[in-house]
Amino acid sequence: MKMKSMLKYTFSLLFVLGSFFGQAQIVKAKDSTTIKKDSIKPKTERYGLRLGVDLFKLSRTFYEKEYRGIELVGDFKLTRKHYLAAEIGNENKTVIDDHLNFTTKGTYLKIGFDYNAYENWSGMHNMIYVGMRYGISSFSQTLNSYSIYNPNPYFGESPTIIDGTKYEGLSAQWIEVIAGIKVEVINNLYVGFSVRLNNLISNNKPDGFDNLYIPGFNRTYGGNFGAGFNYTISYFVPIFKTTLKPKEKKEEKKK
Amino acid sequence: MKKIILLLSIVFAFSGCEKDDICDANTPTTPRLVIECYEFGAISPIKKSLTKLKAIGLGMTDGVIFNSTATDENKYLSNDNKIMLPLRTTSNISEETTSYNLILNSGVVGSENIDVINVKYIQNTLFVSRACGYKTLFNLTNTTTDFLVPDSNNWIKVIQIVKSNLENENEIHVKIYF
Repeated sequence: MKMKSMLKYTFSLLFVLGSFFGQAQIVKAKDSTTIKKDSIKPKTERYGLRLGVDLFKLSRTFYEKEYRGIELVGDFKLTRKHYLAAEIGNENKTVIDDHLNFTTKGTYLKIGFDYNAYENWSGMHNMIYVGMRYGISSFSQTLNSYSIYNPNPYFGESPTIIDGTKYEGLSAQWIEVIAGIKVEVINNLYVGFSVRLNNLISNNKPDGFDNLYIPGFNRTYGGNFGAGFNYTISYFVPIFKTTLKPKEKKEEKKK
Repeated sequence: MKKIILLLSIVFAFSGCEKDDICDANTPTTPRLVIECYEFGAISPIKKSLTKLKAIGLGMTDGVIFNSTATDENKYLSNDNKIMLPLRTTSNISEETTSYNLILNSGVVGSENIDVINVKYIQNTLFVSRACGYKTLFNLTNTTTDFLVPDSNNWIKVIQIVKSNLENENEIHVKIYF
């Protein structure tokens, strides 16, 4: 069962990446026709705010009973290659494990930059990028119920104990390293995918319990390591344009 | 068309994987009471092996399994100099008692001898990990006189509580001399 869903997951991931690859080729083909027109006028560079939402969190809210969450994403082009980027979100997640049942609620903010490694033609904002974020989360955890782990249940398994203790005022900070892609699908509308590796730098744990899930960071493992990803759909709002100095000499050499 | 495939594949990729957490057997969780047996009357302490000892908790019909590889009655019998007895975990926050019938020479006609022990303790619940959940630690509240129930022919001569807070199974909690 586990193997089957792993396969399914791997396959679907490959499928997504594959379709991006196909997408990128189309974009290139389009560009090669537009460049001929552009060589007459001076090139302009559009700057603006790209705002969007994480589709993964949004859809999970509908199909997963134990999860409610939303994440808004935004980036702003600072230079030709650098984007200021941020995510803000809120999550409410109930984890039901064999021995634990708890609910984590909280808000998080991630702020950082993206570096675009994809060479766009003028006016386009497609991205194949790497980036970093500083993340901070403020949350509470409620221990709904638990059971005592007893490897020698001679007197029978101990019953599940209903608890309800709420641990408030918890917080965590972490650093994320990101790799991702954003592709324009329709005019100014982008879809994106990113994977994230997280490393906790501070984790304010409660007495008698642990921060097993941190909003924005996702589940915690034994150490400081964590991982996440998002699928975004976002809209580019142009704010201003600048005219680029043509670099015709360089382009001629290439040809 | 490509765009539609792209969007479909994104939706498709939402179906994901889930947890794979199992509590590691080496993680110290709820400990058993560790009893070590010594020769009574020896000048310097000498460990002494039990003979066909069977331990039955009060209210239970089967004995504690000491030898899981053996079959039949033999799996309930210990010929070791150390035994570990599980304690009852309850949600009782005040004192709890687990009683055991310790039967020496179990099944041997004529030399079978039953001694009753009452283990009194206070329970503390402690968080372990996501996979293991919580564990119970015990604090023995016994005095040396109320551990063993006196009868006309006790095979246990002396009881010594070595460590009253039970934290793991790598320590000796109680020594008995017989």
